[in-house]
Amino acid sequence: MMDAGRYDFRIELPIRNEWENIERVRVSVLEFFVAVFHDVHGCRSLANVAGELMENAMKYGDWSASETHLYLRICGDDARARVEVQSPIDPAAPELGELLDTLAWLRATPDARAAFESRILAAAARPPGQAKLGLTRVAYEGGCTIEASVDGRTLTVLASRTFP
Amino acid sequence: MESSLHAGSLLIEVEDRGEAGLRVVWQGKSSDRQPERVLEPFFARLVEDCATRRVGMEMRFERLHHFNSSTIGYLIQLIKEMRGRGIRLVIYFDHALLWQKLSFEALRVFSKDELLQIRGA
Repeated sequence: MMDAGRYDFRIELPIRNEWENIERVRVSVLEFFVAVFHDVHGCRSLANVAGELMENAMKYGDWSASETHLYLRICGDDARARVEVQSPIDPAAPELGELLDTLAWLRATPDARAAFESRILAAAARPPGQAKLGLTRVAYEGGCTIEASVDGRTLTVLASRTFP
Repeated sequence: MESSLHAGSLLIEVEDRGEAGLRVVWQGKSSDRQPERVLEPFFARLVEDCATRRVGMEMRFERLHHFNSSTIGYLIQLIKEMRGRGIRLVIYFDHALLWQKLSFEALRVFSKDELLQIRGA
């Protein structure tokens, strides 16, 4: 929608909990952003943010019940963008506490590159497949601030950024 | 040694350059949920070959379109493994691609000596 020189955009998608859908949607989001903005690098960053958040939702969500879809919402204008992923969660799952701890740590570490480097060094000491770099990458490469909220068995993770 | 790995949208080609070691070229996309399941056995063979012949490895990422954070996690393990075995690794990335620049420049935290060099091309 065009309004007084500003371009508002919004995408809302339910996405089946199937890993292959992440890349399908990430590429579609990238193409969408490229159609709106000139900054291809910024578009790629936001598409990657959506990809990383969807990966986390599929990896750590509680898919044992009837839920079969996560929800991706992307909105913003020419000054800011918000990427939100909503998925089922077990409120007692240790992954939820780990996510909230990571976000608190990111808020306390304003230098996103230093945070990412710190996580890279920590990943070297973890077992293979346990790097846990996604959220820190969203903050560093995506230039985003990240918030999370839990409502019952639903987790919402929101990454937002402004454009220069 | 001439070999390649084709897994989904990812293609990795290996060129044996004799005493100059192995050139490993990543192409396409690496977005698997557990990329280490495919990459670890493939690279185990390459690392063993480098160690036996006492040559290094050059890895080129300029033609890679995307990798997820799980793939970065595997690369960290590979860097650690090669460093532990004293195998020289030179990584080239596309300096003009911001996502590659940010990812690989951060990996320079492991670049403490000649065993690992990370260069923008």
